[in-house]
Amino acid sequence: MTNQPWQVQIKIQRQRAGEKPYVQAFALEVDPDEYVLDAVERIWAFHDRTLTYRHACHHSTCGACGMRVNGREKLTCITTIRSVTQNGGTIRIDPLRNFPVVSDLVVDMGDFFLRMNKSDFNSVAPDNAARLPYEHPKKLETQTEGEPERLVDCIECGLCISACPAANTDKEYVGPAVLAAIHLMYTQNPSQKLINQADDHSGLWRCHSAYECTEVCPSGVDPAWRIMDMRKTVFKDRVKSIIKPRLPEKKDA
Amino acid sequence: MPNQPDSNNWPRWFDPRSRSLGTFGYILNRVTALGLTLYLMMHLVALGQLARGADAYDGFIALVKNPLFKLGELLVIAAGVIHGLNGIRIALNSFGIGVRRQKSTFITLMLIAVFIIVFFAFKMFSEG
Amino acid sequence: MRESLSPKRLEGSGRWLLKILTGLLIVIFLGIHFVVNHLVAPGGLLTYADVVAYFQNPIIVVMEISFLILVVIHSFLGLRSILLDLNPSPTVLRMANFVLVVIGTAAAIYGTWLALTIASRG
Ligand code: SF4
Repeated sequence: MTNQPWQVQIKIQRQRAGEKPYVQAFALEVDPDEYVLDAVERIWAFHDRTLTYRHACHHSTCGACGMRVNGREKLTCITTIRSVTQNGGTIRIDPLRNFPVVSDLVVDMGDFFLRMNKSDFNSVAPDNAARLPYEHPKKLETQTEGEPERLVDCIECGLCISACPAANTDKEYVGPAVLAAIHLMYTQNPSQKLINQADDHSGLWRCHSAYECTEVCPSGVDPAWRIMDMRKTVFKDRVKSIIKPRLPEKKDA
Repeated sequence: MPNQPDSNNWPRWFDPRSRSLGTFGYILNRVTALGLTLYLMMHLVALGQLARGADAYDGFIALVKNPLFKLGELLVIAAGVIHGLNGIRIALNSFGIGVRRQKSTFITLMLIAVFIIVFFAFKMFSEG
Repeated sequence: MRESLSPKRLEGSGRWLLKILTGLLIVIFLGIHFVVNHLVAPGGLLTYADVVAYFQNPIIVVMEISFLILVVIHSFLGLRSILLDLNPSPTVLRMANFVLVVIGTAAAIYGTWLALTIASRG
């Protein structure tokens, strides 16, 4: 270790599905520049093998390790211990909100993934389309043949849904990430189907502008901006269809 | 309260813990909305006194002049001003305008709201 | 696959736009209302006679009535939106729709009647 080790206490909410949650504390010696996920992993390895949590890539690409650290939604693989406590301090870790708890820190994100799927979310897009429209295009250093593609920003971690107050009470609300995905797909390939998905009571109109999604998103998706931009798009489309009534939709191929 | 979305979780709408500035706007808007709707109903009923003629209405106004009612009236004005100004922000945002400046817009509008509310408070309580 | 994410669209861009437009008009009307009540009629409309006199102006009558209707539409659409946050069952929502429409219409009629009654007492 390069740093003086810190003594911290880690309090984790434990729960088996359907049973009452309780909080268990673990005393740990950590390097302050380690990540919260490292500490959780250490607890599993050396203190309690029954602790369950999700993790895979450990470099903010898979979106599996979302948890609440001191109440706030964090991607724990990139959240340093230094940023959430001090030497001798405590870290509180809870599962994400607004998802059913499967066990301890593992939540059931099945509905969320299915909804992402319904919006035809494609995690690869041309570099231009993957960028937020208000960002200036960056010059790519290496020249490639044809249009360069990359992974889009959303890593489907669900932090935004956990932070959203509207998702607190309405299980039908698709949530920020799905609406952001609809927006992203619409900018690449506008379709009436995506407009109708967005213009729905469990879509755009359940958002009540708390903007928590953008606050917690670890990946610069800016779901709140995308939701509001999609509203603008929907309004425009609806006005257009009044001025120039649309012919009945062809069936999707 | 269940961890998953559940209508029983509604008290969490009003819980600002582990949330950021945007949620304060959301909570303020919701609380003032409910308060103003309640007031609207009460107001309509109370104004029924007008139909019952001068004596009934003036008697009612005399009652409303006591400080407790005045405080209530100030609350209504405050709620209206906050909801109205915050509403301007939300309306603009809904057309994709100023979303990335929503925080500074919120702070500015709420400072204006405080200014207006203090103005009314002085006016109402100094008139006696 | 269904186009919409849910079986039936219960709230959409139209109702949202209506909420925003009524909200905007309310802000404008309230502005006028404050100016009129506190600057033009100093001390406000505090006696019965004041109110009756105020309602002699037909523009005021029209404005007060339309203000009431706007407020009712705006607040009831808002209430319904909050109810939708609770993911109500179709039955509960249908009942709520009915109650909101009935109370809203009743409030608008009652308010109009009240304004016209007062105006006729000049
Ligand atoms: S939008 Fe951001 S917070 Fe939401 S799932 Fe995607 S990466 Fe996570």
